[in-house]
Amino acid sequence: MKYAGFPRWSRLDNAAKIFPSNSSAKDSKVFRFFCELREPVDPQILQSALDETVRQFPFYCSVMKRGLFWNYLEDSSLRPTVSLENTPPCLSLYSPDRKGLLFRVFYFGRRINLEIYHVLTDGTGAAQFLCTLVHRYLLEKNPKDFSDSPPKLTYTASHSQLWDDSFQKYYEKPPLPKPALTRSAYRLRGERLPENRLSIVEGHMPVDALLTCSRARGVTVTEFLTAVLICAIHAQMRLRDKARPVVITVPVNLRNYFPSESARNFFTTINVGYDFSRRPDDLDAVTAHVHRCFRENLTEKRLHERINALCFLEHNIPLRLVPLLLKDWILRTAARLADRQATAAFSNVGKVTMPAEMERYIHLFGAFTSPDKMQASVCSFQNRYVVSFAGPFCSHDVERAFFRSLVQMGIDVEVAANLPYVE
Amino acid sequence: MRYCEKCGVHVIGSPPCCPLCQGPLTGEADGNGNVYPDIPFAGRPHQLLFRLLALGTVIAMVLCTAAFLCLPEHRVAALSGIAGLASGWLTVGIAFKKRGRPLKAVFWQVCVLSILVLAWDHGMGWRGWSLNYVLPVLYTCTMLAMAVIARLLHLRPSDYLLYLLLNILLGLIPLVLLLCGLLRTVYPAVICAAVSVIFLAVLILFEGPALKGELLRRLHL
Ligand SMILES: [Zn+2]
Repeated sequence: MKYAGFPRWSRLDNAAKIFPSNSSAKDSKVFRFFCELREPVDPQILQSALDETVRQFPFYCSVMKRGLFWNYLEDSSLRPTVSLENTPPCLSLYSPDRKGLLFRVFYFGRRINLEIYHVLTDGTGAAQFLCTLVHRYLLEKNPKDFSDSPPKLTYTASHSQLWDDSFQKYYEKPPLPKPALTRSAYRLRGERLPENRLSIVEGHMPVDALLTCSRARGVTVTEFLTAVLICAIHAQMRLRDKARPVVITVPVNLRNYFPSESARNFFTTINVGYDFSRRPDDLDAVTAHVHRCFRENLTEKRLHERINALCFLEHNIPLRLVPLLLKDWILRTAARLADRQATAAFSNVGKVTMPAEMERYIHLFGAFTSPDKMQASVCSFQNRYVVSFAGPFCSHDVERAFFRSLVQMGIDVEVAANLPYVE
Repeated sequence: MRYCEKCGVHVIGSPPCCPLCQGPLTGEADGNGNVYPDIPFAGRPHQLLFRLLALGTVIAMVLCTAAFLCLPEHRVAALSGIAGLASGWLTVGIAFKKRGRPLKAVFWQVCVLSILVLAWDHGMGWRGWSLNYVLPVLYTCTMLAMAVIARLLHLRPSDYLLYLLLNILLGLIPLVLLLCGLLRTVYPAVICAAVSVIFLAVLILFEGPALKGELLRRLHL
């Protein structure tokens, strides 16, 4: 399949095209997906499980290179090695001056941590990879328990399906003109951590209690938690900031709306805004508004418009002919403008499922990303719901307000953080 | 598990205080429960050496500038000192920054050196030594060096083809200048062009498909 001098290569998928221009030490575009087991991780078994997994996802061993017009991925002979986590989370994975893989695997205590550069895939793709890794690890770790009939994962996509760029599949007509710029959103301020460090605060809670709370309001858990986040941000706003709306960016997994088995990026984002200067500031009003926003934006027609708008970049001939150096600058400026329109992000990675026989070995799954602003990522496994806040700020005001209001509603919350004390 | 009375949350691991409110915690800490390693804030390790070198350069530049102002008869030497320091930093900086991709580093080095050499020749009253001797010799040497490095490091064709090709194209420039009558010395330019053409032939004959693939990738729209 592989010959010397004939490397397999591929264009970046549509969403990935904008990431390289916008990655920096401050915003590395690297995200982490983690799995916490019931027992400490065995590095040797993890390494052999990783070797197996990489064989199943060969394109993960790609490196990114710069062309004259676009970056591209090219397969490489590099292979990943697992290591004990000894660096801050989500450090940059790509540099044009260094040849390296675009993902890494760490272990720490009972956790297996997978960090991936967003160019390679999105949360769903990473979940597929991590589940496969954990599946292999548990098979090797407990050979006796699974000897007669090893449980199977539900992912059955072929190599080419995994490597599919689904944006291309669903692009159809020339996009509509861009909507006019909206009012710039309230932006979180505060002292930043030194060395571009990321502060992580996780809250673990039972899924059923959350479901009860959100069903009582007639909304989904994502809508409910988005509303709680908007209120938590509102709680620490100064009076003069309140003229600006609080806008939450919500990534949407397009696989839920358009059939796709792709392990590469296939998502878009919607913005949910709430203007406290014009609307009441109680949680129920915010929840109702968020629910309405989700319902209006998450229709197949709206999402198709988003896909077409995203593909604009790629199907616009003059723009394609711009050299990469200049494109970097254009894309950076565009991203900075878009950034002004959002306060924080709320990303639902979704429910992770593993074969039933394996569930007793696994405590939880979780995820977070390295944002320039604040981002909450949520992930559920069995009855464990994990909300992970990641942000560059020293203070934890938003996180505190968020988790305290959940506690007040009678939900049990367990908290963990990577920087337990910050002066 | 520890507990924060004020926030009403349980706290995993053994932090000294509540991560949310920095308040006191009650209950037993679980020393093995930490889910993140404790990584102290610390400067980058190579920063001290870098800072010392930078300080030395600043002092040397200040001395050169002072000499330029105080000693009119040594102005050329003082200017050369400043330009030399700047050139040194530029070349060493690029080599350091691109050390992970050796052939890319070599190619960038060639480009920067070409410009520096032309600038020095120009600054010293343009006697043409840069175009006549230095650049042809530089291009010939780097082509050979690239071939050796690629061999020694067992680089894959996709890691060296582009840079070697670009260097070959640079190597043809002296010949073009010679044919236009801009050069006075014949040998270096002709030797450089001859080596370039031979290298080009080797690339096309032995790595033709790989070269084509590399160009398709680098130029895809
Ligand atoms: Zn507290």
